[in-house]
Amino acid sequence: MSAFAAGQAVRIADRLTIGHTRVPSYVRGAKGTIERVLREFLIPEDDAFGRPHGRRQTLYRVRLAAHDLWPRYRGLASDEVQIEIYEHWLEPVEEAKQ
Amino acid sequence: MSESHDHEHGEHAPIQTHETPGEWEVLEIAVRELAIEKGLITADDHRRLLEGIDGASPMLGARVVARAWVDEDYKKRLLADGSVAFELGIDNYDRTNLIVLENSPQVHNFVVCTLCSCYPRPILGLPPDWYKSPSYRSRAVRWPRAVLAEFGTVLPDDVSVRVHDSTADMRYLVMPMRPAGTENWSEEELAKLVTRDTMIGVTVPRLPSPPG
Amino acid sequence: MQELNERAKLLYRTVNDLGGLPREPLNLTEHPLLPWEKRCHALLESLNARGVVSMEEKRRGIEDMGQTIYAALTYYEKWAMCAANVLITKGHFTPDELAQKIAQVKRRFEEGT
Repeated sequence: MSAFAAGQAVRIADRLTIGHTRVPSYVRGAKGTIERVLREFLIPEDDAFGRPHGRRQTLYRVRLAAHDLWPRYRGLASDEVQIEIYEHWLEPVEEAKQ
Repeated sequence: MSESHDHEHGEHAPIQTHETPGEWEVLEIAVRELAIEKGLITADDHRRLLEGIDGASPMLGARVVARAWVDEDYKKRLLADGSVAFELGIDNYDRTNLIVLENSPQVHNFVVCTLCSCYPRPILGLPPDWYKSPSYRSRAVRWPRAVLAEFGTVLPDDVSVRVHDSTADMRYLVMPMRPAGTENWSEEELAKLVTRDTMIGVTVPRLPSPPG
Repeated sequence: MQELNERAKLLYRTVNDLGGLPREPLNLTEHPLLPWEKRCHALLESLNARGVVSMEEKRRGIEDMGQTIYAALTYYEKWAMCAANVLITKGHFTPDELAQKIAQVKRRFEEGT
């Protein structure tokens, strides 16, 4: 069972990179919404150290508004970056509190 | 095993046309031969992957896009599941998981890998140098319109840009918009309009200039 | 990302993590791959397909080379060096076996040309 569904608001975790990660720094801490749920994959943190039977996590595509990522972004309000994030890097956002 | 290798190379030496190889070529040969001698890979594995690499080119992606342009049902299936692209007899030699992104009058998609050089290799071939360059990888997600302009691509003011940072397990193929004025074109003619860069999303298909 | 001092930033940004940094305009010149570069690509794909060195291990190997090497080497130079490093790290061959093989390859080329 995946923890998040398409359309749900999420925050990408902001963590250090000791070990290995495929989450670029520019999206860490950013809020976005789930664009689609993909499927489970071996996570890079384990794959990178030669553990093919390591942990598997659901992978999601997350949409992020360019204006939220970049200060003084020049472009349309609807411009987006979309990126794949594994479940253990995603946190739920309480939409009511926003 | 290494002795027979020496022997083989000796026999073939006269047809070698290159100069003494550089340090990096020597390193590549040494690592590959050790990997084969140790039984980690076979020479046949390596040859088959070279064939996979040699067999892949943007013409494959162009066939997929042109088919989608003329066949609405195929396009629907392709957008729902990118693996449909490999139905056209394309060798998915690195087991790419594909997502096809459809450009529209409202949204222009393009693809980057900010962390390295992830790319749909079986369907587009190996990526161009600029795709792997720090300049492209750094700027595409933050200054997309400036980067597109360096390819001569200027989007209308009301078109949203959607940059896909391809850093994990999926790979992306952009399906550009079919140019107006191609209503009667055959699939083969249409495929010629679909270039590598239009499928990365940094350019859009253009009709050939009219003669004169 | 939270505000950090320059040294602490190194905990949060790996050498390959370039998204959003200012850089020079694109150089659109393309070079056809050299034969050894293509062989190097097929080598890493072979190692990946056999489960010896995954593409993720290769990526980590390249990121762990450090900024100087990461910035200085060409794309496939990094791959070749990384393949050697990771195979040694995993115990598939030793540094002296690699050195002997390199000497053997060089000798072969000297004798063959």
